[in-house]
Amino acid sequence: MESLNIKLLEVCSKCGACYHICPSCLNLNEGYDPRAVIKDILAGQYEKWLSHKSIWQCLECHHCLEICFQHYGFENAMAAMRTLASKKGLAPTQVKRGWDMFIKTSRLGEPAAPARKKLGLPEAAKSGAEDFKKILKIYQERKESGVRSQKSE
Amino acid sequence: MKDFTIFWGCTIQTRFPFLEKSTRMVLDGFDLPYRDVDGFTCCPEKSLVNNIDHGLWVLTAARNIALLDKAGVDLVSPCTGCVSNLATVNGELHSDNKEKIKVNSILKEIGLEFKGKNKLRHLVPFFHDEVGIPAIKNKIVKPFHGMRIALHYGCHMIRPSHALKNDDPLDPKKFDNLIRAMGAESVQYMTKLLCCGQGLDRVDQHENALHFARLKLKELKSLKIDAMALCCPSCYLQFDNNQFLMEKEGEKFGIPILYFTELLGLAMGHKPEDLGVDSHRVEATDFLEKWQRLNGEFARTDELNRQLEEGFGIAQH
Ligand code: SF4
Ligand code: SF4
Repeated sequence: MESLNIKLLEVCSKCGACYHICPSCLNLNEGYDPRAVIKDILAGQYEKWLSHKSIWQCLECHHCLEICFQHYGFENAMAAMRTLASKKGLAPTQVKRGWDMFIKTSRLGEPAAPARKKLGLPEAAKSGAEDFKKILKIYQERKESGVRSQKSE
Repeated sequence: MKDFTIFWGCTIQTRFPFLEKSTRMVLDGFDLPYRDVDGFTCCPEKSLVNNIDHGLWVLTAARNIALLDKAGVDLVSPCTGCVSNLATVNGELHSDNKEKIKVNSILKEIGLEFKGKNKLRHLVPFFHDEVGIPAIKNKIVKPFHGMRIALHYGCHMIRPSHALKNDDPLDPKKFDNLIRAMGAESVQYMTKLLCCGQGLDRVDQHENALHFARLKLKELKSLKIDAMALCCPSCYLQFDNNQFLMEKEGEKFGIPILYFTELLGLAMGHKPEDLGVDSHRVEATDFLEKWQRLNGEFARTDELNRQLEEGFGIAQH
């Protein structure tokens, strides 16, 4: 939860300015409101938000980041909640599916060869799937051993 | 101009290859020095990968950027998401040396090193800043005079501005300037900078995605514009595909969605079907017919003016 900064969030709890520029706050009829989430994070009671669809309604439009005098933005709190939710297996089905595809193929789909031919497009450049697989393996191994050494400390 | 490569991204190559076609056609039309580079993966998509594993998001983007360092080329992309993701990681690694060392220790294993020395730009600011308005005007043979076009920038073309640094993040101008250079009016409207909302479609909230599409399309319908212009495959998906789905359910907006490269290609004299405009789900027929008709009228007026001028020329002698 690197992006959860309690000091910055405490300022948020007294500010709330970005609510008034946030497209989801202003337009979703179900009442998207990161101020409530932030309040619960500060009180240590954010658990209920992890299974709430609200935390997936941040559009990552970065409006809040642009206007925030702390250069923080609601979005960081919401992203941290999504990471926690994902760790608990609570991500929406489509997110899980997209993630699986990315991990397996390094992309979210392959170039459509027949359509390319019809349009007279050149053959698509080669994908980096092989090298991606290699660095993914190293990355995962290091992460694993990092977690283990943390636990044994 | 420095050589550059095009980062197509997953969505254009998987779902909308005709957008690659129009992009290549306009790049070739300006004789720009671009070439394909092998080995790119997904940028990767922020809302998907970063939500689950920030470290892997950074590593994957760093690998794509390291390929540019190896090839010695800049990057230009017709996808706003790709550029904004790559630029965000680029900025993060430039300001966090510890993370950079960690990333490079892994990239070393496949013979790469992240340096982040090359420019990462979206196609729209690239055309504005690098090709330039005068050169663009020079290539226009069928302008959009008399056409009312509403722009949708797409959040990630301009934000986060600390990483992209290409336009005012809350009052952008470059896309407007380009549309005007093609002769069209850039119609100003209330929801102009509102996010497209397509992201909601990727988190199992289709109804909410449609709700966002409606907000913009409703306003644009009431303003009787001729088309919406954008340059992001995700926004395109939202306004073309989702508009089409709503039309099938009896909710008609009738707003054709034109990609920046398609508009530029048309204005340069290319045929709509060569550019792939016939692959859209929402038809652009009315838009194209009006444009052809106005071009004919303007051509006739131009001819008349020319004759008049000649006539006066003779009278003065
Ligand atoms: S990034 Fe998320 S929280 Fe911030 S303004 Fe956009 S939708 Fe709202
Ligand atoms: S993120 Fe910034 S603008 Fe938004 S409530 Fe917190 S301090 Fe205020």
